[in-house]
Amino acid sequence: MTQNVKKKVKELLESGKIKGFLGLCQKNGHIGPHLFCDPDDLESMVLGDEERPGDSRYPLNKLLIHIARSYPDETFGVLVRGCDERGLKTLYTWNQLNPDKVIPVGVACPQELADACECLRPYPEEFVEGERAEERSSASVTKISGLDVKDRFTSWMKEFARCIKCYGCRDICPMCFCNECSLEAEELIHTGELPPEIPIFHLVRAVHMAGRCIDCGLCNEVCPADIPLRTLYKKVADIIDEEFNYRPGYSEGKSPLNILGSAAEE
Amino acid sequence: MTNSIAEVEDAECIFVIGSNTTSSHPLVATRIFRAKEKGAKLIVADPREVHIAKLADLHVQHNLGTDVALLNGIMHVILERNWHDRSFIEERTEGFDDFKRVIDRYPPDKVAEITGVSPEDILRIAEYYASAGTASILYCMGITQHTTGVDNVKSLANLAMLTGNVGKESTGVNPLRGQNNVQGACDMGGLPNVYPGYQPVNMLDSQKKFESAWNATLSDRVGLTIPDMLSGLMDGSLKALYVIGENPLMSDPDSHHVEKALKGAELLVVQDIFMTPTAELAHVVLPGASFAEKDGTFTNTERRVLRVRKAIEPVGESRTDWEIIQDISNRLGYAMDYDGPEEIMKEIAAVTPSYGGISYDRLEGPGLQWPCPDPEHPGTKFLHKDGFARGKGLFHAIEYQEPAEVVDEEYPLWMTTGRVHVHYHTGTMTRNSPSLHAEMPEGYLEMNHRDAARLGICQGDLVSVTSRRGTINVKTQITERVREGVVFMPFHFVESSANVLTNPAYDPVVKIPEYKVCAVRVEKAA
Amino acid sequence: MDYRTVPTTCTYCGCGCNFFLEVLDGRIIGTIPSKSGPANQGKLCIKGWHVHQFVQSPERLTRPLLRKNGNLSEVSWDEALDYTASRLKEITSAHGSDSAGFFASAKLTNEENYLIQKFARAAVGTNNVDHCARL
Ligand code: SF4
Ligand code: SF4
Ligand code: SF4
Repeated sequence: MTQNVKKKVKELLESGKIKGFLGLCQKNGHIGPHLFCDPDDLESMVLGDEERPGDSRYPLNKLLIHIARSYPDETFGVLVRGCDERGLKTLYTWNQLNPDKVIPVGVACPQELADACECLRPYPEEFVEGERAEERSSASVTKISGLDVKDRFTSWMKEFARCIKCYGCRDICPMCFCNECSLEAEELIHTGELPPEIPIFHLVRAVHMAGRCIDCGLCNEVCPADIPLRTLYKKVADIIDEEFNYRPGYSEGKSPLNILGSAAEE
Repeated sequence: MTNSIAEVEDAECIFVIGSNTTSSHPLVATRIFRAKEKGAKLIVADPREVHIAKLADLHVQHNLGTDVALLNGIMHVILERNWHDRSFIEERTEGFDDFKRVIDRYPPDKVAEITGVSPEDILRIAEYYASAGTASILYCMGITQHTTGVDNVKSLANLAMLTGNVGKESTGVNPLRGQNNVQGACDMGGLPNVYPGYQPVNMLDSQKKFESAWNATLSDRVGLTIPDMLSGLMDGSLKALYVIGENPLMSDPDSHHVEKALKGAELLVVQDIFMTPTAELAHVVLPGASFAEKDGTFTNTERRVLRVRKAIEPVGESRTDWEIIQDISNRLGYAMDYDGPEEIMKEIAAVTPSYGGISYDRLEGPGLQWPCPDPEHPGTKFLHKDGFARGKGLFHAIEYQEPAEVVDEEYPLWMTTGRVHVHYHTGTMTRNSPSLHAEMPEGYLEMNHRDAARLGICQGDLVSVTSRRGTINVKTQITERVREGVVFMPFHFVESSANVLTNPAYDPVVKIPEYKVCAVRVEKAA
Repeated sequence: MDYRTVPTTCTYCGCGCNFFLEVLDGRIIGTIPSKSGPANQGKLCIKGWHVHQFVQSPERLTRPLLRKNGNLSEVSWDEALDYTASRLKEITSAHGSDSAGFFASAKLTNEENYLIQKFARAAVGTNNVDHCARL
């Protein structure tokens, strides 16, 4: 079911509106990110579904930043799901991408994926493929919020204790773009130890993602310790929403926490 | 590994011994975490409280080099309590009676004395391991790098056979290979006694086979191992040494001895991607290409052959290692004319039965696990399903032996060596990686706070560590990770290279040096 | 502009993680774990995530070196290879094939290891070939 996306991309490439389209392709037996530049060579394009829908989601926005930095004058197309679109919007407000130079091509996620992600909006504003699935609220957050404070803390500490400090949660995150990362600040977190200092390591990241995390769940998927990071950041997002009525990627404008954010940006 | 990485996830009991899994094989650790999540019991036996030990249901810190005693003690309990798998033993193994006679001599209280592990803990390990429906043993260099390395491995095999934990899914005796392609280098005949696919050089059949495949006259004399080559350089019987992608001056035990040996070479050729202490001594240094600059395959620890693909051109004037070898071979008059790695793989498949069905076409995606004897064969997830290669599994009767070097008045501390999560081997690659370097810029000596207090050493103090072979200076890290009387050092750091100190006593069979045990003295540096 | 993602296998430990190297105009700019890697399923350790860094380190050896008057100096490939081959030939003709030894490597590919041992055995005529399997 990539026909509509392919058609759209072919048009964009043929008309010269975009220099390339960042999507997913099946190559060498792996599904992975790929920049399509030739309108006649879209055969290998896929949507990342291998066994389950959305199985092979990748941080395309983040890769787009890499390319756009070297080619600021070119316009690129990029495949977006609901989360990716939230990401794009937020990246625009942080000046990481120029909205005039990005043409998103949307796909709506199937219900199965929306359920698994507990996604508040499993579709982008416009999409050429798929159907609008029902929104889901976060059962995992409710579940862990149900525990009393002490049990909650113990349960998180048990999760964090497995951390192997791969920094994958940061490195995969489309919203992590700081040049200097607090997770590497020695005065904050000792280096060279496994697990890293807990819970500081994970809380520092959670705090830094407040007002920035667009709930794509890639960090959760990349974590070799299977720590439910997405649940943690969903919880943080809920708190920010309650306090400031702001949810990144859903609300307009910059995060109310941009004091913290702008420090991080530099 | 006899079994696959993914299978670990479904084991009901996992026994990790001598493996700092979260540092050295992080993605195997992931499967251990998952198994635990599903309710598996995790036992860790390690002289240090490594990360995985903190997550275990039971962690025992046995004395360095006492693995055989510990394992015999566990098996003693299993036999005593009748927890062994009688039908498996009868149908699929032999040598049980001799084995049992030895095991009888290892009651828990005697073992406790040798190992420092309490009889209660020995009982608990036996119970966890023997009562699980599927139990998987994972081990690494903490088992093999001893003068009794082979004995240690055989003891683990005994334990698995005793309980029938072999030849089934999520069981087995699983070595975690230290470097990414150790498995492949062995499979390809990078060993002095075998051709590719473990075909012995001193067997007429295989000699004939390779003579005709390679169109050459081949020697039937088993060659020298690395330690023997180094001794050969010392006594002058070996004159030329060609080292590719290795750094023996740092990676081999007793560096001072290695340095003398290398300096004795009439010709030392080093082919590598970085300047190393070994290359500094060379007559010729040839710049090879990194994994990102060439096509090829690696074989991982679960025997899975995986593709390596060229991403960029070799940097500068460096060249891929196969091209360099081919050029030298042609200059020596033995013609090689491969147009690339794929063609070499075709030849490998033709002469290596276990790789017979492997071709680049079939390696797209997840690759293939050998044995894969023909183009239709799907590969092999776990070994020994229908019996052992030799027919029946053989129990070995193994007695505990002390390490080659033990502590005394002059060298009162046990020292062991190992890896850390951010660095790899002699550090040539990881220390040239800014992010990894930042995470851990220098080496250290781990020491228990009681030893530190007695010696008047504080956190971060520079100390000198001396063994019978040399002295190095290094910073101290005071910790609870090691017990009193034991110190630990990672071996990745050239400026405080642990292998200046280590003991080049070898396992008599496979010539693995005893990196994991030597005796040292620690003093505050002047 | 040339942007590619190349699926390959980690060069560090024996887990055999798969990832894509992200290449922009001939330089590797990042590592992306492959979700279809059988061992790693889209995850990596800290070494894997940064594996591209050492590849383009300024410290890489880029030219052959030959010892002349006690010092290693840069030479052409032809000179380095001619020297190596002729010295190997001299030594083994004078002292026999077993006077030469070879270290293969657990860091090289299967194809390269195969070629090294074939070279030692068929071209030089010795079984003196080993690698650090033991470390
Ligand atoms: S879900 Fe994770 S990866 Fe995605 S934006 Fe939030 S923190 Fe980043
Ligand atoms: S991805 Fe998981 S293991 Fe890696 S640093 Fe983040 S929390 Fe730790
Ligand atoms: S990424 Fe880490 S765990 Fe995976 S192969 Fe590389 S070193 Fe091993």
